[in-house]
Amino acid sequence: MNELRYAELHCVSNFTFLRGASHPQELVEQADTLGYTALAITDECSVAGVVRAHMTAKGKSLKLIIGAEFRLQCGLRFVALAIDRRGYGRLCRLITRGRRSASKGEYSLTRADVEELGLEQCFILWLPDRKTPDGRQASWLLERFPRARLRIAVELLCEGTDREHLASLQGIGRKLQLRLLASGDVHMHSRARRKLQDAVTSIRLGVPVAEAGWHLYPNGERYLREPARLVKLYPPELLAETDALARECHFSLDELRYEYPHELVPEGHTPTSYLRKLTEEGARRRWPDGVPEKERVEIDKELALIAELRYEAFFLTVEDIVRFARGEGILCQGRGSAANSRVCYCLGVSAVDPERGAVLLFERFISKERNEPPDIDIDFEHNRREEVIQYIYRKYGRERAALAATVIMYRSRSALRDLGKVFGLGPEESGNLAKVMQWWDGGEAMPERLREAGFDPDNPLLARLLPLARELVLFPGFPRHLSQHVGGFVISEGPLEELVPIENASMVDRTVVQWDKDDLNDLGLLKVDVLALGMLTALQLAFKLVNEVRGTQYTLGSLPAEDPAVYEMIARADTVGVFQIESRAQMAMLPRLRPKEYYDLVIEVAIVRPGPIQGDMVHPYLRRRNQEEPVVYPSPQVQQVLQRTLGVPIFQEQVMQIAIVAAGFSPGEADALRRAMGAWKRSGGIDHFKDKLLNGMRDYGYTDDFAQRIYQQMLGFGEYGFPESHAASFALLVYDSAWLKHFEPAAFACALLNSQPMGFYAPAQLVRDARSHGVEARAVDVCVSEWDCTLERSHEDWDGQPALRLGLRLVKSLSEAGAQRVVAARGQRPFASVQDLAERAVLDRGDLEALAAAGAFASLSGNRHLAFWEVAGTERRPPVPRPGVPVRGVLELDTRTGHAAEGQPLLPAPTEGERIVADYASIGLTLGRHPLALLREGLRKKQLLSADELKCVANGRVVRTAGIVLMRQRPQTASGVTFVTIEDETGQVNIIVWERVGREQRRPLLESRLLEVHGEWQRQQEVMHLIAHRLIDRTKMLGELLTRSRDFH
Amino acid sequence: MRSRVIHAAEVVKGEMSARGATERPARESPTGTTEVEQPARPRPLRPAPAGPVGPARFPGTAPVTSTELWVGVHLIESAGGQEPVEQGLERLATCAQRFTPRVSLIPPDSVVLEVKGSLHLFGGVEGLSRALASECASLGLKSMVALAPTPLAALVAARVGKPFVVTELTRLVGQLMPLPLAALRWSDETLERLARMGVRTIGQALRLPRAGFARRFGTDSLATLDRLTGRSPDLHERFHTRERFRRRRELNYELESHDAILNALAPLLAELGKFLEARQCGVMKLECLLRHRHAEPTSCVLGLAAPLADVRRLTELLGERLSALTLPEPVRACELRSSSLVVRVFSSNSVWQPGEHGGGAGAEAPELIERLRARLGPEAVYGLQVLQGHRPENAWGIREPVTESEVKGRGRARHAPEIKTLWPAFRRPVWLLSAPKPLSERDGLPRRRGPLRLLGEPERIETGWWDGGDIARDYYTAIDVHGVRLWVFRERATPHRWFLHGVFG
Repeated sequence: MNELRYAELHCVSNFTFLRGASHPQELVEQADTLGYTALAITDECSVAGVVRAHMTAKGKSLKLIIGAEFRLQCGLRFVALAIDRRGYGRLCRLITRGRRSASKGEYSLTRADVEELGLEQCFILWLPDRKTPDGRQASWLLERFPRARLRIAVELLCEGTDREHLASLQGIGRKLQLRLLASGDVHMHSRARRKLQDAVTSIRLGVPVAEAGWHLYPNGERYLREPARLVKLYPPELLAETDALARECHFSLDELRYEYPHELVPEGHTPTSYLRKLTEEGARRRWPDGVPEKERVEIDKELALIAELRYEAFFLTVEDIVRFARGEGILCQGRGSAANSRVCYCLGVSAVDPERGAVLLFERFISKERNEPPDIDIDFEHNRREEVIQYIYRKYGRERAALAATVIMYRSRSALRDLGKVFGLGPEESGNLAKVMQWWDGGEAMPERLREAGFDPDNPLLARLLPLARELVLFPGFPRHLSQHVGGFVISEGPLEELVPIENASMVDRTVVQWDKDDLNDLGLLKVDVLALGMLTALQLAFKLVNEVRGTQYTLGSLPAEDPAVYEMIARADTVGVFQIESRAQMAMLPRLRPKEYYDLVIEVAIVRPGPIQGDMVHPYLRRRNQEEPVVYPSPQVQQVLQRTLGVPIFQEQVMQIAIVAAGFSPGEADALRRAMGAWKRSGGIDHFKDKLLNGMRDYGYTDDFAQRIYQQMLGFGEYGFPESHAASFALLVYDSAWLKHFEPAAFACALLNSQPMGFYAPAQLVRDARSHGVEARAVDVCVSEWDCTLERSHEDWDGQPALRLGLRLVKSLSEAGAQRVVAARGQRPFASVQDLAERAVLDRGDLEALAAAGAFASLSGNRHLAFWEVAGTERRPPVPRPGVPVRGVLELDTRTGHAAEGQPLLPAPTEGERIVADYASIGLTLGRHPLALLREGLRKKQLLSADELKCVANGRVVRTAGIVLMRQRPQTASGVTFVTIEDETGQVNIIVWERVGREQRRPLLESRLLEVHGEWQRQQEVMHLIAHRLIDRTKMLGELLTRSRDFH
Repeated sequence: MRSRVIHAAEVVKGEMSARGATERPARESPTGTTEVEQPARPRPLRPAPAGPVGPARFPGTAPVTSTELWVGVHLIESAGGQEPVEQGLERLATCAQRFTPRVSLIPPDSVVLEVKGSLHLFGGVEGLSRALASECASLGLKSMVALAPTPLAALVAARVGKPFVVTELTRLVGQLMPLPLAALRWSDETLERLARMGVRTIGQALRLPRAGFARRFGTDSLATLDRLTGRSPDLHERFHTRERFRRRRELNYELESHDAILNALAPLLAELGKFLEARQCGVMKLECLLRHRHAEPTSCVLGLAAPLADVRRLTELLGERLSALTLPEPVRACELRSSSLVVRVFSSNSVWQPGEHGGGAGAEAPELIERLRARLGPEAVYGLQVLQGHRPENAWGIREPVTESEVKGRGRARHAPEIKTLWPAFRRPVWLLSAPKPLSERDGLPRRRGPLRLLGEPERIETGWWDGGDIARDYYTAIDVHGVRLWVFRERATPHRWFLHGVFG
């Protein structure tokens, strides 16, 4: 019925943060529905939202135009629309200029910038001031841009002066011979977003909406208006002009061709030949006795696939980064779909050895059909990753390398907090509201929880606030600002800024592109993830220590493989400090799974995850593994996918493959499913996959039960989904760290302590564990300790385990610089006294007191009390006497030293209890007795058993125990169950607190540091825990003992 | 006209000692007392020590051999927690002057008194303690009491809250030894540093080498220990009550006219002026009490924006207030009562008088506003402002009147409207109906005494959803059959009714 051909050419999405009130997707959908011929997304100095719009517009008749809105410092506003690829590049450059010359999240452009950079191949729409259009602005634009590319945008928004406005613009147009066109200053796809638009405006301004006044728009006209309305508002020629202009724009993001840097390929080589050359060289290193025929075939297959998909440059880029790291002695390891290839094995990117039982089905991870860019994450030692990042910037330059962005979305907490302010709630009230609703997923509000927190759910304010919060939180979450991705690098052949604008990140020296990981994926732009991993730091330190002491040459992947003793230790769950398998849940699994080889570790890493647990896959797998139930497959196709995990899906890839082979998903759909799995918690956007999956599987003849479990597992995978490709790489680090723990416990503990904070355990548990494995630990001492923990000879020679000397780094509030000066001064000659140390190491009061508190002066001054007395007296000048204060007998200066003469203090010696308290307070651990050893007598009177005594108790008995709380954990998968680990002088006890008990005894559960527990003792083989019935806070018994409990949520 | 001015400086009940202030004012001087309040040293309020509450029981009292004997009273709580401890403290100090003139306030929660000389008057240590305890109880105060030869020891022991009576200086140190150092109220940092050396009691601190102690913790701390043990003297400022102005004038005839009353008040006001001038103080509040033959006294209270001492202004303001009063009966006596005095900060007068040479005309504004408000009541005088908001009914607001100096002082307020942004207001009629009035309609067009002709284009306003006043309207200018320009709107929601909202002048 409507003959109108209209294109909206001025439209901001919610990627013009806190101004636009609709997602780019919504805008595209709505414009298409209304029958617009084209839609330009013109976010303010940004193209951050265009990929989403582009993906939505695919397959629609609506044409998407890429543009941006600008406001120059002088107040001149205009929209630039890309006509072609070149114009798009120019647009990106101007955006980059504006963004890079302002701080994060802002931009700044002047007329000079526009003159300098130009905007060739872009249409310019002048946005005149609504009240007093200034013709001089148009004249200025006309001097810079040809008349054919310049238009005057007429935006009639029912503000009562539309006719006047139009007439005045027509006047300017006639005078300057400029054409006018209609546009809508669109901020939302539907007028229903008016309230949200007002709300985000006041968030942006930082004032309650009631005070935002004229900063709000007077009405809701800034939406995608129906053609019928437009016809009434605008002269027809203004409407027709929009379509004419849109037709001349023919740039599409699909044209972006991404080229990898050329400098990686030397003269005379093509990327293909060079990758082959490097791979073959690597193969000779990996297989010095000749490459086995089977491997050679596989390598050729992989290379052919890579060549076909033209991914060589990607592999070469990764290889280059890894080569740099290795040259610098930085430990690194690749993981991800492409990393588990023989090519990567040969290139040294990963160490997943095909002969070690690893299943390297490269095609499983990277397939032609899926058209998914290869995924390689490279983990580096966490304290040296920055070197790698700087290398990349250095090598490619900032114009060619930048980090991917992360779009920070509204979550329930931030949405409620911000909206609270919009409605004039105080920070405390908003905070409370956010707290109550913190797990709210945008669904219905929970009246009873609101009531509990003292809010009236029927309060009209909440009735207005909550729907807005829901809109902010609901799929796919309202974007709030751009942040930097942890380490996803985009590196390009040409200037990156012509591909995508670059802006400043909050960290100095970091720049990010305006697109996030998914956007880059969608456009097929490759990125390399440069990540930090604490365990690599620890392993590097451990290798160094071991190699020094033993004269070996160990490094990543070169430890003796598949040592049964290592697996035996793992099966005993003796894994404190071991990568990935040290958590309590992992430790509970180990004795049941009893890993015997590398692939068992791959499974172990992946199985104790929300996915398999929620999908109830763990027990079936264990039963099948222990041959308690037969291994059966619902179909041969499924068998192919699940054979290596005994018919039970454990890995993310398996779930996707099942969707393909058993529910008829296309590879593309399976990929969409994977992404939805990553985001469903936030967005809930997985529902339509549910029906498709369940129906599909039913059609293929699978039972509903099996289908349901697959679906449940998908939900569980959520954001924690664990792909086999990552587990395979992690399992290598599991083995290496377990090997070190078993054979070199001193070096291992030392390395872990020096890499803190990392892992699950605090230094106290790491040292305790090392000591229980026969390692002698020695106290922090200013006369011996280095900054780091070190190994010392424990006997005449280095045979047997060295002793572990605790380092000054453990001393709380000691500055590293101060500690280094202590070490340096000691190198010249030993310290004579605390005073000598203070003077030569130039330590301030804070550092001296920190050392005294740690007991590190023991060999210079005796106990801590004396140390504090001495430290307090290490001032360089005697105090100046104050007139009028009659104090006698104070200032009798010692003529020899110039210090005030003073007698020896009569200070009480610290008790054992005080020593332990002070040890914990300062270095977080004690080498003396466990605090509970001192309390044991009192505990015994209360009939409380020790951890050791519990080990002999039979299953099902009711017992009592007490211990220091090491950690509380409430996994989201465990439906309200809290896991608590307590520790006494004999060991640790694992407590399970069911939801009801936890709710009723919340305070002792959450507040105790020393916790008494009454409950039922459960033991199945080597897995033992206490089901809590009653919890009593015994913290008082500890006096002021400071124990650091780590709470995980 | 004859009148008799009563020259007795009365003191508000409970605020003056019986015999505490020894320097009585000269007969002609209208002062209560002459000393200014002691400046309170700020100290953190600590939780009261747990322990027995109420008067301590004293074990067999030894003869007093020290030259002084001090009672320390540590206030735990006053009047069931109804009033601040500081206030209770002043009341206690006032009462304690019954026992001895040597009373000192140790803010925020203690009093010490030297009682050696008056001990025999109250039945020795035991009798005095009992008397003091009952004094506290009658004031509704919970306190701990201790006796020692030095004021600091008495104070510290009272804070600890265990029975403590030491009358001999030689025994003092021994008895102090086990007391916690915290009772000395040294800074947390000092106490923490001492604790880390294992020093937590007074005894442990006293055992440390003096020179070393002073070097580490300062001579002040050592001096404290010396005052504690009597090694050096301890001087405390004496407590005195604080003052207010209060005068009464009995009239030997009855007054009815406001002017006459004001005249009768004149000598009192003059006296108040001298009183304030002598102290360089001002008052924030002045109460004028007019007594009648039968009726309850009429009270007229002047609250002031700043401390005032200027008799002329006070007289003027009081006159304004009085003229607004309706008296039940003629006045037989009048009385002026001030609030407690406030030290005035003087500012020098400007060379130019207000209004002269165009300088500072605005400075008269506060006086004018104050006078108008005194006459008409505070609600009657207000300012107008343009409010930022698209809803016409919210575009104007009532506010506190702003004077020029205030405007200057505030600088650029966040919402100070710029002329440019005022434009929607200019297109609207100044005369708005307090509530829009529904209009009848025919064929979808509004009528008011005949059909209305709509002019121009609609102005669409959709806003106000956040406070329940959501509107969605299209506004038009309309002309009625008489040629009057009206401001009307049509609701966007069905049934699209028409309303009249304003009339253009």
